[in-house]
Amino acid sequence: MRWLRFAVLIIAATILQTSLIDMISVTAAEIKPDVLLILLVFFAIYSNPTDAVISSFTIGFAADIIGPTMGPRMISFGVFGILLADMHQVIEIRKMSHQSLAIFMTGFLTAALAYFLSFLKAEPTASGAATELLWKPIYSAIVGPILFLPTAWFMRIGKRRMRRF
Amino acid sequence: MLLTWFMLGGLILLFAPERLTGKFQLAFARVFSLPLSVGRSISLAAGTQQPLKDAQERKESQYQNHIANLEAQLKQKNLSIQQLSGLRDRHPLEGASLVLADVIRSPTNGSSRELIINRGATEGLAKGQFVLGDNSIIGIVSEVSFRAARVKLFTDAGSRIAITAGNLDVERMMHGTGNNKAKIQLLQIKHEVRKADPVYASKKPGFLDAPMIIGKVAECQRDDKNPSLWDITVEPVCDIEKLTGVAVIVMELKEN
Repeated sequence: MRWLRFAVLIIAATILQTSLIDMISVTAAEIKPDVLLILLVFFAIYSNPTDAVISSFTIGFAADIIGPTMGPRMISFGVFGILLADMHQVIEIRKMSHQSLAIFMTGFLTAALAYFLSFLKAEPTASGAATELLWKPIYSAIVGPILFLPTAWFMRIGKRRMRRF
Repeated sequence: MLLTWFMLGGLILLFAPERLTGKFQLAFARVFSLPLSVGRSISLAAGTQQPLKDAQERKESQYQNHIANLEAQLKQKNLSIQQLSGLRDRHPLEGASLVLADVIRSPTNGSSRELIINRGATEGLAKGQFVLGDNSIIGIVSEVSFRAARVKLFTDAGSRIAITAGNLDVERMMHGTGNNKAKIQLLQIKHEVRKADPVYASKKPGFLDAPMIIGKVAECQRDDKNPSLWDITVEPVCDIEKLTGVAVIVMELKEN
């Protein structure tokens, strides 16, 4: 893993998520894709297991930095990033439709766990659940596979490795 | 082993006090304030379809909020004159200074409605101070670092602000719903409240000397669970999402 490129990518994605991504938000509920979720899935399926652990928790930490509270996203991204990386050892996620499904499922599960952890922390989670649990993962699943190619190019992940998946 | 350490780190962040962990978020906003502000400006500019019409509507909204504030201040003045006739009084907000701040970013995640601004403790900001946007109260300072602060909007699901509605003298708590609205509860049906009535943040010694407009009644109906009470929905009187600058009310507590 090229960690310097990874750091630049995560910082850029974090800034993008809190600013320019608003431009493509839809409906009054401001549903927008989660770039960090897409990157979580990307690194979980294109990295080796050790790198997947580090990248999952780091991306989770970045998601917490721009979120309402610290902790829930780091844990949920870490847990499900590792599970996805482990699952990828058994089931290959090669087609775009499979990548979309992986993004949606990971988005749903990470949001659910983050909500539960926020509840433990006594953070208010009254509304916006449908957006976080359903619509945001769906939007991310639509946009996600398209972003995989430029991300792979930036991270210098070779064609041979890309083909494998 | 790596997994254990990261999980431990996550759990520490999760259960550590908010005043400690929040510093990470404020530090990030401060360090990357320039790209965040530029990105937000571009995003807002792209989202504005009719800039001239929007600007006129915003000006009109500002004037209406100002008029509503003056009416509330006049009402309070009259009360003061009646109650404290002969005693020296001072103009509302006379002892306050307004600290202007730019919005670095507006993280709206789930039910959380907050702003991060580029002024902090060095400019006199403190927890609990009221924040103005387009002449109306939009929230309260919830966390402060040296050069940045977090503002909890009154529409945030964790927000609780004392208010009065319309011409009523009774004070009630208003709590945010997390979807750009807030609710007033426990107000009995005998009190007359109508749609579009202004809602004022109640004065709070040391933070706000006079009531100021915070929103307007968007919906007013009987509470399903308790028909003797109103279920009132309040909406902001300015477009909080499009605010690029706000003003924090900093009361000067020194005696004149």
